[in-house]
Amino acid sequence: MTPDLVVTTTIEASPHEVFPYLVQPDLLVRWLGSWVEVDPQPGGVFAVDMGETSVRGSYLEVEPSHRVVFTWGIPGNEQLPAGSSTVEIVLRPEGDTTIVELTHRDLPADRHDDHRKGWTNLLGILSSIPQE
Amino acid sequence: MLRLVRSEELPAGQIATHFPITQQAVSQHLQVLHRAGLVAERREGTRRLYLLRPDALGPVRAVLDDLWPDALDRLKDVVEHDKRRRS
Repeated sequence: MTPDLVVTTTIEASPHEVFPYLVQPDLLVRWLGSWVEVDPQPGGVFAVDMGETSVRGSYLEVEPSHRVVFTWGIPGNEQLPAGSSTVEIVLRPEGDTTIVELTHRDLPADRHDDHRKGWTNLLGILSSIPQE
Repeated sequence: MLRLVRSEELPAGQIATHFPITQQAVSQHLQVLHRAGLVAERREGTRRLYLLRPDALGPVRAVLDDLWPDALDRLKDVVEHDKRRRS
């Protein structure tokens, strides 16, 4: 099984202040993608264009000021089709700050970490593959 | 298309028979997959044969390994910037 991808950061703000940036299109667009269309409720659409790549999924869980879960995939991509993987973002208060923990689950098998270099622009390349 | 060449090396012409698009369009598609490192290309006379690279199942993960830390850095910057501006 592929290990989950876990990334954390600490933000100098409360979870209450951070949460809107996970669900409001005008705020999401400032850090996640160039175009965003979201309907932040269970079953609601989660659509983000990152560069030339379209990411598509839907919200599974939305707990204000605490947690969002949405599916994540790339339409037409063999490895990671639309909605095929799951991203959970949890906000935990710590003093005056918020610890953000992002977990990306259900990722396709990774057979080679050593090829990472040179793949950093792949999002753009994948998007140029014609969809069937 | 990738599924077709997962276990068997096939010429472009044979791959094209599986798709309702022109052989030229299929060839272009294969070129993109080749440039992206997802398939290996071998020439045999005038034919080009394609096979899924056995190590090609990792790029998405590698991209995400880069993408998420960058994205969370931007989230931090944007939230903290807005908070400073408000105070």
